Amino acid sequence: MTAITGRSTGFKLPNCRRKWSRQTKRRFITGILFISLWIIGFFAFTLYPMVASLYYSFTEYHIKRAPEWIGLVNYVNLFHDPLFWTSLYNTTYMVVFGVSLSLIVSFTCALLLNLKIRGQSIYRVIYFLPSIVPTVASTLLWLWILNPNSGLLNTILSHIGIRGPSWTTDPTWSKPSLILLGLWGVGNTIVIYLASLQDVPVVLMEAAELDGANWWQRLWAVTIPLVSPVTLFNLIMGVIATFQYFAQAYVLSAGVSPVASGLGAPLNSTLFYSVYLYQQGFVYLKMGYASALAWILFLIILVCTLILLRSSERWTYYEGG
Amino acid sequence: MSHRGRRVAMVVVAVLMLALLASCAPPAAAPAGQGQAPQGQAEKAAPAAKQKVLRVWITWGDNPAQLQSLFNKYGEAHNVRVEVNSPVSEDKVIAALSGNEPPDVLVLGGPDSVGSWAREGLVTPLDDFLSDGKVDINDIFEAPLSQCKYQGTYYCLPWGTDTYALFWNKDLFEEAGLDPEQPPQTMEELAEFAKKLTKVDKDGHITQVGFVPDFSWSHLDLYTAMMGGYWYSDDGTKILFTSDPVVGALKWEQQFYCDYNADEVLRFTSAFGGYMSPDNGFYAGKVAMMVDGEWQPGVNFIQKYKPELYYGVAPFPPPADHPERKDTNLVSGTVALIPSGVKDKATAWDLMAWMMSPEIVAEEMVANFNLPSSKKAAQDPRFHENKKFEVFLKLMADPNAKAPILTPINAEVGTELGQIEEKVLHTCADPMPLLQAGQEKLQPMLDKALSGQ
Repeated sequence: MTAITGRSTGFKLPNCRRKWSRQTKRRFITGILFISLWIIGFFAFTLYPMVASLYYSFTEYHIKRAPEWIGLVNYVNLFHDPLFWTSLYNTTYMVVFGVSLSLIVSFTCALLLNLKIRGQSIYRVIYFLPSIVPTVASTLLWLWILNPNSGLLNTILSHIGIRGPSWTTDPTWSKPSLILLGLWGVGNTIVIYLASLQDVPVVLMEAAELDGANWWQRLWAVTIPLVSPVTLFNLIMGVIATFQYFAQAYVLSAGVSPVASGLGAPLNSTLFYSVYLYQQGFVYLKMGYASALAWILFLIILVCTLILLRSSERWTYYEGG
Repeated sequence: MSHRGRRVAMVVVAVLMLALLASCAPPAAAPAGQGQAPQGQAEKAAPAAKQKVLRVWITWGDNPAQLQSLFNKYGEAHNVRVEVNSPVSEDKVIAALSGNEPPDVLVLGGPDSVGSWAREGLVTPLDDFLSDGKVDINDIFEAPLSQCKYQGTYYCLPWGTDTYALFWNKDLFEEAGLDPEQPPQTMEELAEFAKKLTKVDKDGHITQVGFVPDFSWSHLDLYTAMMGGYWYSDDGTKILFTSDPVVGALKWEQQFYCDYNADEVLRFTSAFGGYMSPDNGFYAGKVAMMVDGEWQPGVNFIQKYKPELYYGVAPFPPPADHPERKDTNLVSGTVALIPSGVKDKATAWDLMAWMMSPEIVAEEMVANFNLPSSKKAAQDPRFHENKKFEVFLKLMADPNAKAPILTPINAEVGTELGQIEEKVLHTCADPMPLLQAGQEKLQPMLDKALSGQ
């Protein structure tokens, strides 16, 4: 569901009417054989499940008995389901605040890491390290940092006279906590930004400098426009990943409340779309309903991506483009 | 213009894109080290070329080697190989139940899902097998047995079982001027004691709490039973959220948050350490009284993490005006079942019957410090060495012992009640409107599930 297709890749099927030479045929077969693993994988593990889930979304299906066709009932019920809207709100919150903050933070970090200072590579490693920590491990770690009484964060805050909030158990703070947790792991985005910052042509910077532009003007008028394609890429990847936000929330609610009904704890504030989908499918065995949820999510992501791509024409700049 | 630079950047972007795509692959639930075949299996695999293999999946178990060696006894006696997989995650179980090769015997931590699985035809009804006399059903304690009954048919059998009682910290009782040998006798007295056992510092921050009703998880079922009811009608066809026992239980629970500052209680309790750690709120002396299960006095819990803890265990007290509800408790725990997809059900049943024999029940439950489901097994002196454990044994056998009622929507009802309880306790909301809304939402769901047989 996550693939973004680029523009036409220039691949054309050979013209079948003209007779192929033996060599072309052989090459074709070799080529097919080389990608056959992918083709099999794609059909068996991506296309077939997608088509099947589309079918299930119009049925009542609980795994064992044959699916029963019920038309649009799942989709209609979904729009009357308050928890669907809660989960959509929670997820949108993460997309809007989480993704934008992570872009700002990672761009800022990349700018800092791009400074020619001693120990530059060490800093780069330090900033990248958190992103290779497995999600579950880092979430559990953060549960400790965010512990309201004995956690590192609130202990530091208490030294400056602030009584920190109950990060993970207060519904107003649980999503910001997760955003904070996410910001810790933006190493991947930083690296992508860093690569594109190094690609900003020196000539342009020099020209701007000669024209008397200060640091801020150079950043605003040269650097940011020139990295805008990368911003677009990071934005789209971030939006897609955040719409599917699951593992951290799953671990968080398990940590906050040890019972199975704790999904979304505290008070459904971390009931994200994928968490709700998981609950419907794998806790309640409502595979039909869960499939409908999955297709709505797919459409939401598709529309968001298209809107971003379309709007990007106005704010991205391609060198020589 | 540095083309090389751009190419490098493109490669980096491509690689990272792949990495990102991989990382947003379908959500996988808790990836803990499940499904690892215990050692000892491999070495047994070599001899006897065509030995029949029976597969047992257990959703719990922190000692897979012990479970494997237990089942090896059956294997040796019957010339088969029993493969034990423990602990298995719930997701895997669901996938296996719907697949063609389910395990021959599945052991669950509790019966909650059995009702919905029975409705979906994922589980073998056991009534026909039970008539062959391999399992003496009269030897099984009534309360745990009844948790396996769904619409008049047995779909599982209890192996071990759990029940809950009141634990109190005798040191903290002494400090508060209470008699350390005298636990509260009524639910009202429990609330009074809790007040005396709660400490607040000069800033209004709680430093010790008397009793937290949902510590370490919800015990709404026990409190509701003490109030004289349950959230289903006895036949499991009606949802009784708005009945007096449910409302009364939630209101009784609410005082432990809302008579204090609910935010402060929540903040204090959320800072407790892990359940299985010396920082567990009760072990660390931060909670004076708790409701917990029979495993606590055992070698894997208090004896392991806080052996010096000076504490007592007693049945949870009844309300003052209903002394006849003394020793009411909710029994629920490990059950075994045969998935409907098993081809050789007779062999699976033979294995399950062996599991249910008093000697095996005794051996496993002694090792695990859980209550035995078999009356004969309960006579085993090993269960009576620990006086605190005996409290639970008596509770399970008490006529007031009850089991949860199975319906096909147990999971939905559990989630709904969990959310209502959370709102009532943590935000001091009035339970009635929430229960009313929950009932209106779930009753049609139950009707539909029951009619769709």
